[in-house]
Amino acid sequence: MSRTDDPVALDEWYVVGRPEDLSIGRPVATRLLGAELTLGLAGGAVTAVETETGRALPVTLAYGHVWTTLGTPTRGLPPIAEFDETDRRLATCGAVHVRASGLRLVENFLDMAHFPFVHTDILGVEDRPTVEPYDCEIRRDVDEVWATNCRFWQPQAAANAAGGQMSDYLYRVARPFTVLLYKTCPSDPARQDVIGLLIQPTDEDRSIAYAFVLVVDAVSSTTEIIHFQQTIFLQDRIILENQRPRLLPLSPRAETPTRADLSSIAYRRWLKEKGLRFGIDRREAA
Amino acid sequence: MADRPVLFDYELSANAYAVRLMAGLIGIAHDRRPVDVYPGRETEGADFRALNPRGTVPVWVEDGEVLTSVAAILWHMARGAPAWQGGDRAAETIEWLAFAERDLAAADAARLDAMLGLASPVVDPVAAARRAFRILDDRLARQGIDGAGFLVGAEPTVADVAAFPAVALAIDFGEALEAYPKLRAWTRRMRALPGFVTTPGVPDHL
Repeated sequence: MSRTDDPVALDEWYVVGRPEDLSIGRPVATRLLGAELTLGLAGGAVTAVETETGRALPVTLAYGHVWTTLGTPTRGLPPIAEFDETDRRLATCGAVHVRASGLRLVENFLDMAHFPFVHTDILGVEDRPTVEPYDCEIRRDVDEVWATNCRFWQPQAAANAAGGQMSDYLYRVARPFTVLLYKTCPSDPARQDVIGLLIQPTDEDRSIAYAFVLVVDAVSSTTEIIHFQQTIFLQDRIILENQRPRLLPLSPRAETPTRADLSSIAYRRWLKEKGLRFGIDRREAA
Repeated sequence: MADRPVLFDYELSANAYAVRLMAGLIGIAHDRRPVDVYPGRETEGADFRALNPRGTVPVWVEDGEVLTSVAAILWHMARGAPAWQGGDRAAETIEWLAFAERDLAAADAARLDAMLGLASPVVDPVAAARRAFRILDDRLARQGIDGAGFLVGAEPTVADVAAFPAVALAIDFGEALEAYPKLRAWTRRMRALPGFVTTPGVPDHL
């Protein structure tokens, strides 16, 4: 497919790689919203070019990743205040390719109900499957979707968890393809680890997922932190690749939500309000 | 007392999973040393190359001995368990052990390409993986005629352990094994073995 003409999708910033992956000395070809991109280094600066047209695209380095846009975003990257806290460690987990709409990836990230069954004995246990009631709202002042007061019992909440804990979660969908999770830090219950899922929607039904972890963890090696996240995400990948349709339906009638899906309902409503088309199953458009 | 053996491990590596699976099935205590293969490219660094010039995982270090071939590691792990070495059919076991390490490497190349976009050292790894799966499926069909459920005999050997990860993780590159009924039945026999351990990516239905 060629570049989308969906202005809502075009006018956003997207992660297209990590700076260290461009240090190999040759251009890197990738895709964004159906368009071919060429990434490179010029004078130490990262460059991004739309391959077909030769148009130079704006590039921003932030949160351990390379961001660009094919359109004219009305706002910058989502602010993440925890990046200013100097005692935190950042681990970027690389890129995982998934044959699914990026919106499906965000929605899966928001879903706590799958923890005991997909991340068995890590993020959940099968005999404690209940998602307790939580709150969810579209925050109009910042134009983000927030799910708050989420609680889930987790046998191994993070790489450095010594045992089970009741994790407090806060989800923040900052952009249609960018979602953040704040969760109880096992080594300091007063603080929260930040986990980001940054999606590069290559095509409507294909995505590259980048994850970062910004943690207060003096114990685990960076490799252990990365492997923990890779394990979790590869467990998700099997589920994501088998969801049908691969695109995200927005109609409430398309899939049957339950009380635990409050955040998914809010996310879909928010996308519908935005008029986003890219990555959405438009067959049932009403 | 000798130090415990050390496995230089990567969660996403099919061959590293074969070693973890072997350790579970035979019950071998060991220490794990995670290696940042991706995205950190630790296996390309000088420290890792000093340990294993081939730059591959898994690596098994025991009593000063460094093993980097999955076939060698599994054979070594099974040295006190002759049944896992095929008993009096050891040569045949090595034959299928070698097949797993050599021919099924295409399946892992296809996986790493599909999952991480890593360039495959094999041309058209998906087609090469399917050829290897066909050979395995045919082998298991013939074994079934003889009343044997595993690659070499009626009991599992290191060859089955070496071959299992590539087959069980094929869904990672979109291969659901519909065309290989004997392989699917064999994966279920493997799963039922005492001490079986899984890894992320192995579907529950296999």
